[in-house]
Amino acid sequence: MSEFSAYFESWESKIGAFIDYHWPSAFQGPSLPGQKGGTTATSSPMEALPFAVKDNIAVQGFGLTCGSALLSQFRPSYTATAVQRLIDAGAVPIGKTNLDEFGMGSSCDTSAIKVTNNPWDLHRVPGGSSGGSAAAVAAGLVPFALGTDTGGSVRQPAMFCGVVGLKPTYGAVSRYGLVAYASSLETIGVLADTVSRARDVFAVIRGPDPMDQTSRSVPPWAPSLTAGDFSSTPRRRIGVLSPEAVERAVAHAVAQSNQTILRSATLEPEVDRAFRRTQDELRALGHELVEVDVPTLRYGVPAYYTIATAEASANLARFDGIRYGRRPEYAENPDDLVTQVRSQGFGPEVQLRILLGTFVLRSGFQDRYYLRAQRIRGAIQRDFERLLGVGPLQDAEAGESGDHRRVDCILMPVFPRRAFGRDEEGLSPFAQKAADLYTCGANLAGLPALALPVGVEEGLPVGVQLVGAAFSEGLLLDLAQEYEAAHPIQRPSLFKSYWG
Amino acid sequence: MYTSYIGLEVHIHLLTKTKAFCACPAAFGDEPNTHICPVCLGHPGVLPSLNQEALRMGLLVARALDCTIPERTWFERKQYFYPDMPKNYQISQFASPLGSNGGMEISIGGRTKRIRIRECHLEEDAGKMIHAGNVTLLDYNRAGMALLEIVTEPDMETGEEAELFIQQLRRTVRYLGVCDGNMEEGSLRADANVSINLPGAGLGKKVEIKNLNSSRFVRLGLDYEIQRQTELLDEGKTVVQETRLWNENRDQTESMRTKENAHDYRFFPEPDLPVLELRPEYLRSIDTAMVELPFARAQRLKDRYGLTESQADFLCEERALADYFEQAVSEAERRGLERNEGAQRITAWITSDIKRIWNRQGLSLFDLAEFRLTPLRLAELVLLVARGKISGKNAKQVLELVVTEDRDPATIMVERDWEMIIDPAHLRAVVDRVCEQHHGVLQSAQGAAKNGDTKRRASLEAYLVGQAVAHTQGKGEPTTLKRLIEQKVDEA
Repeated sequence: MSEFSAYFESWESKIGAFIDYHWPSAFQGPSLPGQKGGTTATSSPMEALPFAVKDNIAVQGFGLTCGSALLSQFRPSYTATAVQRLIDAGAVPIGKTNLDEFGMGSSCDTSAIKVTNNPWDLHRVPGGSSGGSAAAVAAGLVPFALGTDTGGSVRQPAMFCGVVGLKPTYGAVSRYGLVAYASSLETIGVLADTVSRARDVFAVIRGPDPMDQTSRSVPPWAPSLTAGDFSSTPRRRIGVLSPEAVERAVAHAVAQSNQTILRSATLEPEVDRAFRRTQDELRALGHELVEVDVPTLRYGVPAYYTIATAEASANLARFDGIRYGRRPEYAENPDDLVTQVRSQGFGPEVQLRILLGTFVLRSGFQDRYYLRAQRIRGAIQRDFERLLGVGPLQDAEAGESGDHRRVDCILMPVFPRRAFGRDEEGLSPFAQKAADLYTCGANLAGLPALALPVGVEEGLPVGVQLVGAAFSEGLLLDLAQEYEAAHPIQRPSLFKSYWG
Repeated sequence: MYTSYIGLEVHIHLLTKTKAFCACPAAFGDEPNTHICPVCLGHPGVLPSLNQEALRMGLLVARALDCTIPERTWFERKQYFYPDMPKNYQISQFASPLGSNGGMEISIGGRTKRIRIRECHLEEDAGKMIHAGNVTLLDYNRAGMALLEIVTEPDMETGEEAELFIQQLRRTVRYLGVCDGNMEEGSLRADANVSINLPGAGLGKKVEIKNLNSSRFVRLGLDYEIQRQTELLDEGKTVVQETRLWNENRDQTESMRTKENAHDYRFFPEPDLPVLELRPEYLRSIDTAMVELPFARAQRLKDRYGLTESQADFLCEERALADYFEQAVSEAERRGLERNEGAQRITAWITSDIKRIWNRQGLSLFDLAEFRLTPLRLAELVLLVARGKISGKNAKQVLELVVTEDRDPATIMVERDWEMIIDPAHLRAVVDRVCEQHHGVLQSAQGAAKNGDTKRRASLEAYLVGQAVAHTQGKGEPTTLKRLIEQKVDEA
């Protein structure tokens, strides 16, 4: 334990992944490769495994800051269902990780609590909003961590830090205990050191929960989660979303003058190179790749931010300074009290999104904004359904040939850029939002998506994502695990694996 | 003269065991903040779970109010800040209420009037603020309890009509067993909208009246308000659109806030709860729980039992009372008592002696199962009286003893030796004996009869009846004895 403690402290002092952590005294210490951590070999794969939890998920015994000054003193009186299921399976929550305030951001930098750095380059961001969880896993501090994904918040930091990131189907994992930002879009997700670990964790946390009536049972036809023999993974038909087509569509949709949006949709050369290489590697593994288009995706970002901020404006209304937050010394009246607490307690990004959400829900304007965004969302869902289908694959369809045939999953970039820095080369908050283009689609459509590291370009990891039909996590994990076996995930220097 | 338009918004607390969206008990009157959990306190990260019982009860009311039920219904967030509302939004309904376009009949001055129901929707209640000196305390026991809001069209014209509507609605929800209808305790709350205008000119400037916490105050408040607005218009002034509070101590409405903040509630569908598909088979299961409603039942009781309107209304005030009445009448009829006679006798018992005992015992008419004078025992008692087996005076004592001893009326009567002699042969023998003993009196009576001195005859006959009753130690059935003595006098 002591060697590991030193390892942990040395990394944590540099990356600052955790808002709070404590290793329980009963904890046996990590199981080094070839050695079992004091437990029987037949027990669950979770037995005695430590894990970290993004600090917008409730765990009794820890705080629940959500990265916000307003909740810096709050302690939850209950534990989230997903965390409880892991504890029941033998895993041990050891800390809460940093995040963008209430999950609103792509860098972890909107956190009011602390700064988190990328283990690959301490001058760069770990991504966000689940940046602390991604950094902790990437540095080997924990084998896995829970994050949340509202518009890419598990997958983008997973790519920035070079770990596996799984955003499950909406409803597959209970949201009970996740402090809501955008309820209809977000899910609890997994950041893990390996694909097989992500699989094990997902198998434990998924399934319906009476405390979350939007949670659902796994349908009987869903691909199995049990890992098979990857030497014989079936030959898959993989749709490839062409980034060039997406760029053209975006250019068509936005004013030509808006260079920020255009630039945000364009892959930087390193990401583009890795994306193309991955296609070749998947072909080499025997899979069929076909180009596909999701025409409505160009409207995804505005629809996403309209819906997300609308829901956020209601979800965050309870933080009014009366029961949460530090009360000011003096307030003229209740309105003044609320104004003071929220002006001081919420950062600018959160204030912006609450105001935006309030704006789009105004009576008389819903048709122009909120309802229109919902119509776009429906169109995006239908686009994905057309490609991926819904429900079990029909034999007749499977036998069909030509371009109209369904694909098993869609290969997409995660984010157009690798981890960015905090200097002038960084991304403006607006550009960060525009760059959610590739990730927000899965949230709008409620589909599972898996971010997988595919290599390191110029010192920084690059990832791709696989998006599948609802409840096809098993299929995505199988494909990713096959790829991972052929192309092992690279780790940052000084990384040491303590988790067998 | 002006036409007045009254619309009501009624909130009823549904009698669910638990709150609308969490497992906390839905109970009144306990220590503050004892029925709370992270969900009804709106803690960060919690989610609502719809109580199926609340949905079922809400749909039952919607059906009873003749509403159209949608195929799909969902919840929405109604957003506003208020200290006793934990989430600063209320889970309510907006675009897809449980029921819409319904109506309910009220009976006014012998005619029937239908009040249209615009909609009824399900929502959660807020907590309660307790103002104590210069601090305000919050009790969240009520937060998250299931409420059904019922909104009428502006179809009522007088305070009396509004009062009758509230009473009829209260009876209806009690019949359905979904609300106790207690206005004083706030389990049925009514706000009223009222406007007046020249006939044919449509609705006038609307005034909302709050704090109407009894059906009487609904009538008084609206009549006061209509009078106030009439005077304003008569003086050439205009009515200010505002919210007014009923002051029950001064019997008047008082301005609460004149500047009507046009609230923008920013409704949007509640993403934490799935859309509900109300399938036909589910709605059929709601219908099987439907009961005969008070208005229809009162009509039927009048027709079937020959009751007056006021008797039928009294008996239909509570479902349990009407059940009690009908069970007793049917038992009496089964045992040979003509139906209408039985109904009249039983109604007379219920409205006088039995009601007095209920009041004395503080028994809730909501549940008469506890009452020892069961319908069967009441039927038995009524038959004993109708057949002359017991005197009216003793019957009242039997009633009291049934209640204290929990035994059957006949048993008590026999045991106390209160059974009357009704056998005509036995009574004729008694009369013969008495007339023999008091032969002079009999002759005087016969003489008075001949002379047409009816007064004297009656008085002498009464004396003989008294003697006959005394001869039987008071158990001879006096009506028969009287008839037999009259025959004796006429025999001469």
